[in-house]
Amino acid sequence: MDRWKQYGGLLGLIIVCFGAGLWGFTSTGGALPWAKRSAQTLQRGVQESGGELIDVGRGIVVAGPIRKGGMMLEFTGLVVLLALVGVGLYVYVDRYHGFDEQESAAK
Amino acid sequence: MAHIHLGEGSFPLWALALWTGLGIALIITVVYHVRKEGIKTHQIALAGIGAAASFAIFQLNIPVWGGIHMNLTGLVGILAGPLLGALIALVVNIFSAALGHGAVGLLGANTLVNASEAIVAYYAFRTLVRMDWDVFPAGASAATLGLSAGAILMGAIIVVSGVNGSALPRADLTVAVAGLLGLNLGVAVIEGILTGFVVQFLVSVRPDLVGPVDRVGSEEHPGVTA
Repeated sequence: MDRWKQYGGLLGLIIVCFGAGLWGFTSTGGALPWAKRSAQTLQRGVQESGGELIDVGRGIVVAGPIRKGGMMLEFTGLVVLLALVGVGLYVYVDRYHGFDEQESAAK
Repeated sequence: MAHIHLGEGSFPLWALALWTGLGIALIITVVYHVRKEGIKTHQIALAGIGAAASFAIFQLNIPVWGGIHMNLTGLVGILAGPLLGALIALVVNIFSAALGHGAVGLLGANTLVNASEAIVAYYAFRTLVRMDWDVFPAGASAATLGLSAGAILMGAIIVVSGVNGSALPRADLTVAVAGLLGLNLGVAVIEGILTGFVVQFLVSVRPDLVGPVDRVGSEEHPGVTA
């Protein structure tokens, strides 16, 4: 397929979704955090909005229930564990070409 | 990034039973097909990595659009396939609910939402690749479409269920949910583009890991014959 059609299709999708996102942002409370926005919007409807689209000052923060519940250590440990298991499996599969070959050899 | 963040008791009991039942039915179907069709070894590894990445990104609030989190479910669906993608959605939601991110009672609804993202992204990607699209636009579009489907399903679940304690009549609730849905669509684009880059990178270094591309490639290049 022509490349311009592919990227044109993607661009169309981006414009539609981004427009919907901008409308959703302003109509549901502006810069409110998601959980607060969600509760406020669903309980009392659309409120006045304001705030920045991108607020770098907030930094990247871990979800409230984990952060406020003092579970940062557990969360970090769990993420590291999952990442190690994932990488370990990846390395294992990369080195071990076993199952299919073993099965065909057995047959 | 669709994910229902309402607290316990937000949905009426019948809705809770309905979405939990549908979630269980989905998982039973997926497990049946996994047992019937089997899983390749590399898919298990990808599923492990996908679950870890998805869970970690789930918990990080990025300061865009008022603070959002990504899911990577589109990427997970493209890499691990629709069956493992649905199972990963369940696992990530269980872990998240255990940490207080998302209600335990909404596990069924949230699994349906996130599994639909993975499933739609996989089939959209496979269709676009078969239509001879390049990997980046196919990956980005497929992930955006998958995430949009999940957002629409999330909105539909909330509107159909109604929210306990909400002062809004159903029509106003629909308008309010449409705003949340719109916001999700905006975020879907950002996550979709990121997914496109990741898939393109993976195809350039390990095309065998990306199922639909590998399959199309092997159909086009049947190998050297003597």
